[in-house]
Amino acid sequence: MNAHFFLVLSLLSLAVVAADNPAPLAPGYLPLGFSAPVPGSYQLPALGSAVDGEVLDSDGNATRLHQLMDGKTTVLSFIYSTCNDVNGCPLATAVLHKIHSRLKKDPELAKQIRLITLSFNPENDTPAQMRGYGESFAAPGIDWRFLTTRSERELQPILDGYRQNVQKIYDEKGRDTGTFAHDLRVYLIDNRQQIRNIYSVSFLHADTLISDLKTLLQTEQVNKTPTITLALQERTGTATNLLNNALKPPLGLPPLPMPSDNPLTAEKIGLGRKLFYDRRLSLNNTFSCAMCHIPEQGFTSNEMATAVGIEGRTVRRNSPTLYNVGYAEHLFHDGRENTLEHQVWGPLLAHNEMANPSIGHVIGKINHNADYQGLFEQAFGKPPNMENIGMTLASYQRTLNSANSPFDRWHYGHDKQALPAQAQRGFKLFTGKAGCSACHSLTDQYALFTDQQLHNTGIGYAEAMGATGASQRVQLAPGVYTEVSAQLIQSVSERKTNDLGRYEITQNPADRWRYKTPTLRNISLTAPYMHNGSLRSLKEVVEFYNRGGIANENLDKLIKPLGLTEREIADLTAFLTALTGDNTKALVEDAFAAPIGDSGF
Amino acid sequence: MNKKLKSLTRLIMVAAACGAPAFADETCQSPYMPKITGQEDVVYVWTLGMEGIGDEQDKMVTVDVNPKSAHYGKVVNSVSVGGRNEAHHSDFTDDRRFLWAGGLDTNKIFIFDVHTDPAKPKLVKTITDFVAKTGGVVGPHSFYALPGRMVITGLSNNKDHGGRTALAEYTNDGAYVATYWMPTDQKLQDDQSKPYADGYNYDVRALPRKNLMLTSSFTGWSNYMMDFGKMLADPEAMKRFGATVVQWDLHTRQPKKIFNVPGAPLELRCAWKPDHNYCFTSTALTSKIWLIYEDKPGVWKAKDVADIGEPAKVPLPVDISISSDDSKLWVNTFLDGKTRLFDVSDPFHPKQVYEKKIGTQVNMVSSSWDGKRIYYTSSLLANWDKKGVDNEQFFKSYTWDGKELKEQFAIDFIKEKLGRAHQMKFGAYSLYTAQAK
Repeated sequence: MNAHFFLVLSLLSLAVVAADNPAPLAPGYLPLGFSAPVPGSYQLPALGSAVDGEVLDSDGNATRLHQLMDGKTTVLSFIYSTCNDVNGCPLATAVLHKIHSRLKKDPELAKQIRLITLSFNPENDTPAQMRGYGESFAAPGIDWRFLTTRSERELQPILDGYRQNVQKIYDEKGRDTGTFAHDLRVYLIDNRQQIRNIYSVSFLHADTLISDLKTLLQTEQVNKTPTITLALQERTGTATNLLNNALKPPLGLPPLPMPSDNPLTAEKIGLGRKLFYDRRLSLNNTFSCAMCHIPEQGFTSNEMATAVGIEGRTVRRNSPTLYNVGYAEHLFHDGRENTLEHQVWGPLLAHNEMANPSIGHVIGKINHNADYQGLFEQAFGKPPNMENIGMTLASYQRTLNSANSPFDRWHYGHDKQALPAQAQRGFKLFTGKAGCSACHSLTDQYALFTDQQLHNTGIGYAEAMGATGASQRVQLAPGVYTEVSAQLIQSVSERKTNDLGRYEITQNPADRWRYKTPTLRNISLTAPYMHNGSLRSLKEVVEFYNRGGIANENLDKLIKPLGLTEREIADLTAFLTALTGDNTKALVEDAFAAPIGDSGF
Repeated sequence: MNKKLKSLTRLIMVAAACGAPAFADETCQSPYMPKITGQEDVVYVWTLGMEGIGDEQDKMVTVDVNPKSAHYGKVVNSVSVGGRNEAHHSDFTDDRRFLWAGGLDTNKIFIFDVHTDPAKPKLVKTITDFVAKTGGVVGPHSFYALPGRMVITGLSNNKDHGGRTALAEYTNDGAYVATYWMPTDQKLQDDQSKPYADGYNYDVRALPRKNLMLTSSFTGWSNYMMDFGKMLADPEAMKRFGATVVQWDLHTRQPKKIFNVPGAPLELRCAWKPDHNYCFTSTALTSKIWLIYEDKPGVWKAKDVADIGEPAKVPLPVDISISSDDSKLWVNTFLDGKTRLFDVSDPFHPKQVYEKKIGTQVNMVSSSWDGKRIYYTSSLLANWDKKGVDNEQFFKSYTWDGKELKEQFAIDFIKEKLGRAHQMKFGAYSLYTAQAK
């Protein structure tokens, strides 16, 4: 009784609102307020299967919904015959009637369409009642069925299947009024019983429904959406022979150092590549190695100075490029690791990178994923373990070698045309007046552009010891900048973790703010620069060294003011941009061809 | 039942037997769902788990907001969902029976049954393969009800965690339907003089009578997950913010035009009146109100129509809320913790008419349909919220008498061991009364 009382109150409140807000006619009664879409110019993806159920036709014969839908495109509407809400069931019937009228003029289309009006009030809407309801709509060549069900029990699974929310309305004494509250729904169903569109009051209109009907019948002619998303278009590629790339170093690189216990094989490389792009290799399945070492961004990240890890946690340093990492004798900016096999476990387990809770957790996760079944056995003859996970990731990274740049073809290939004159002048400065090659070294046979050592340039010192400015210039939009006060920035900044460089590894005060000399190969692809990403362009880097770095007690003795002119700075910068290998596109496209592991992948 | 009787709410049911098609709502809902036009009973607060606070995981918190309830002003329920997913926005299906809540980090979508017991949402399904199903969309943000389905805006992608992303479509049952990538085609630009079609995304709203769907643009995972201070100090990161609003054909889901709206246009709110063919958005970084309007039949334009506070001081406008008569627009500015009321009766010339400091920081604002009750929450993003003592986390309830906001109650979400209070959605028992047994 309470429930009835409650429903009555609810009904009364509805009536109040209805009185307050006289209902405007639904769009379906009016001319369409916009041009109907051109049939075939768009797609109607399937929204799931239309459920089946036993129904009665207007002669009382039992049939099934799927039988009626078979081979025809169907418009299905739920109504009850005594419904008198102008924007309820009468709207649905009015729109179907408009379609009916159009079909009369288009017999070819009419042959492929069936309209179905199904009652959700079997108690009142007997087959005879539905026959009466529909008889004025009868027309030759038009297939419009008026259906009901034997009982509410047989009806309910159909209503549930179509998510038709229907509630009986009771009067103040708790008596069934014979009226219903319901969500108006009309369904467009294709000839394979797939729902292709759903219309409610705001959407139901004969013009758009006709467009949709015709679109379904012209599926083969549907055009692709006329938009381009470059990120996707560019992110397609074919795999390259990575093993070959590693075993036959391009011009300018020496033979690749290879650990005797982990010789390269195609299986190990392929497996390492799969792991490298697998976001599931993190605590919350969001972070692969490639989220910081992004292939098309120089296998680093061009879009931030220092990295962020899982849950957005701050990483202190710039993501180093992985190009030619197989030649590096020390890994990480502070040089704390010396083999790629060991290095991979650093990011995998770091709380602010991939945050895996344990080695066993990583191994278990790989074992758990069906798409890894048998792959470690194939590559190593044994299941995944701490050692071979490191070996396989190292194997992939060891293939990312890139050289045969314009510089290499000029310097080592003796092609006089390969390097522009400006860059040639820059090379002279690089090895001469500017003294860059003292650390970014090269030999007569090859150039790694690193001395594999660590140096103090003052960048780290300034960050740790320098005063914070009163404000920071911040870009708000292209060409729009403002000075934001340090106080405001501080209010939304976490406490910054200090960075002492090599000292953190050796505890030797002389090692404060010493960082590894990076290779310069592909340097124009790997901005921003320095261990903290604080310099945005190569020109800024050259200007920094031209000033002699930043003075501090441990400043490397090789770093001093260079006295380069503007033209010389430009020449040196031009040389640096000529160090891009000729296979970067192939390596990036190979990366695009790699699968990305996500949950449910 | 008595509790339900007490909380009887006036409502409009879309297409109910004696109802009307609803062209309005409690300020920012999809037009295709039942609306609460009277007293709401509960507010669902999608809350971010916070390390060191309570169970540290995201949760759907129910606050009782009916003054006639014995539990008025109290947290009456909390459902923890596991993990810190970067809980952000949530919204109902068109029948308002289910509440979908997304995680911008883990890309999980939590679907709650809110009709069985509106005070106690029940987690009935978790979508865990959103990224894989959509072809790489990351950061499910806005959930927008269309008949029988949900349109979901993404913010990022699984390739580079940048801002290129898409719209996704799901059925109400949680089945994947389609992905629509944000356009980057410069030919669609309203202004051909500069390239700005960025392919970014944020919010989505529609005007079905105009076959119009609009999307706005924010930034990718790398930025929205980054420590706010670190990002402000990173010039590279600051280059990666959206500058576009896209006009779509609602019926075909095809992009038609891309407007240049620089400075990260976030929330979109469309006017309700049948002859008001316009929507508002606000840009977070450049601190402006923009109007997207129909200039002449079928031709839409975008225009900046007002400053919010002093743009040079970067007040960071975040949530906005339009009144049901289209005359007022609440605008929150995160960094100064203020709410501001603009008179937008002339949409081309909004004028600020009121402001009040809500807290050290403020993000979301939700208004009742009649505009008399305004609710606020504090959290913007886990790593963008203020630090230290300024990191107030609250749900606050105010009344608005046309002149003054008066605080009714506040809940300290840290003291209650809940976390960061983010987005709010209203619930009412009377929405589901016809189903009462």
